[in-house]
Amino acid sequence: MRAPTDGSPTDSTPWQFLASSTRGAAHRAAALANEDAHAWRVFDAAEGPVAVAAVADGHGHRRHFRAERGARLAVEHACRFAEAHGQHIDRIGGESELEEFGREIVVPTVLEDWRRAVAADLDRDAFTPEEEAVRASAGDDPVIAYGATLLMALLGDRFVLVSQIGDGDVVALGVDGAVDVPVPVDPTLDGHHTTSLCQPSAAASFRLAVIDQAAHRLTALLMATDGFGNAQASEPWPPAVGADIASMLGRRGTRWVGEQLPLWTARCASTEGSGDDTTVILAVRRP
Amino acid sequence: MPGGGVARRPLHFIIVADCSGSMAGERMQALNYAIADMVAQLAEWERDQLVAQVLVRVLSFATVPAWHVRDPTPVTELRWQALHAIEGGYTNMAPALREVAAAIGPSTLESRALRPAILLITDGRPTDLGNEFASALSALTSFPAGQASLRLAVAIGRDAKSEFLEQFIGDPDVPVIVAGNTEEIAERLVAASIAVSRLSEAGADRDALMSQLLGSGSGGPKDSEDHSII
Repeated sequence: MRAPTDGSPTDSTPWQFLASSTRGAAHRAAALANEDAHAWRVFDAAEGPVAVAAVADGHGHRRHFRAERGARLAVEHACRFAEAHGQHIDRIGGESELEEFGREIVVPTVLEDWRRAVAADLDRDAFTPEEEAVRASAGDDPVIAYGATLLMALLGDRFVLVSQIGDGDVVALGVDGAVDVPVPVDPTLDGHHTTSLCQPSAAASFRLAVIDQAAHRLTALLMATDGFGNAQASEPWPPAVGADIASMLGRRGTRWVGEQLPLWTARCASTEGSGDDTTVILAVRRP
Repeated sequence: MPGGGVARRPLHFIIVADCSGSMAGERMQALNYAIADMVAQLAEWERDQLVAQVLVRVLSFATVPAWHVRDPTPVTELRWQALHAIEGGYTNMAPALREVAAAIGPSTLESRALRPAILLITDGRPTDLGNEFASALSALTSFPAGQASLRLAVAIGRDAKSEFLEQFIGDPDVPVIVAGNTEEIAERLVAASIAVSRLSEAGADRDALMSQLLGSGSGGPKDSEDHSII
């Protein structure tokens, strides 16, 4: 695999990426940083370019006092995984086989790499006495401090593999106008609690989705932290939002949508919306 | 903005108020005053915070329950109409709990709603037959929104503080709020409303709030259950 690019459109990739992240009004008022993270990369491979997009949301509770770092490490290692193994996405060649690849390779590898990165961060920068007091009072494993969700998509020419732990949303916009939520719902997510990379049960909490574009060709794939969905007035929101975005991409073009995206995340993150950190990556398939 | 625009996250707050015969007179008068005051407090909190829109419903109960405010009403738009005690009315809590369960059951609340808050106010022990109370409470907590709901109880009169209210709350760290006399009802409801609002805030320090707001007397650090991960 050759060197990555930052996702700017090139002739070699069918995907281009639009992204925006806005600190939530509640975080701003509390003088807290934006605890979301996001990243995308495009890697040239022998079989063709492979892209990865990842968003992560650090948990807001005081027990997760290094969640901002946890989120950043999560998207970083999602990208590193793609660089090392992403060429398999179109090579494996079957939905069930790809799902097995996700379950057996993607999830455990990304988890292990994340935990190792968290341990290394802690070695470099030990907990302060105040942080240690919080950890000790809850009896937490140190990894809890770094808790975050993760949504990652490996995007090949034909297949897309989505892996998700915790809250947040993935919406697939088809060229036929269909709007789909491909990742299975986790019934334990009640809007107040989430599953997390920091839990011992994290591997089992991942949900996977495979999209075969031979059957369901995509216009775009939207990935968002829960600040976006929690701000939407429509219920359910994916059909209306997805249809509008598809229409805007068609009528106004990708550049225009890219210019609007920061306005949308800002509104969602404001006191009119969820007030939460809001991050969106829109992976747009070039015609 | 794609879709239907943006909105704050709904916080559904359901008041379940005892209107049995024993609530007649001074108690009901004090309760009505207290609820009106509590609604004003919640409206003020909603204005000052950055995340939630408070939607209020009120269910009265005696022998049978009856919706006093059936539809989720923005707290800033709620104009309090007095509750009335039902002469000879019993204190059947089970049907009221089932009514609340139906109101917040699966697919009734917005997927982005904050966990609902339920405030039970009573001056007596439940008069439900057999294990109906337990059965109804089990039904309320059998689905995600009910299980996650923040449940508080105000006992009017010390005799009303019972193990049933503690079961309703379902959290040993959350005390039953007791109004020893009618003068204390307003103050206790304000404390309950503040607890509802503050505990609904992201990252709330539950133990500190419990101690500060409800005087739970829980000493020493405790493992908070109100954390972000399951």
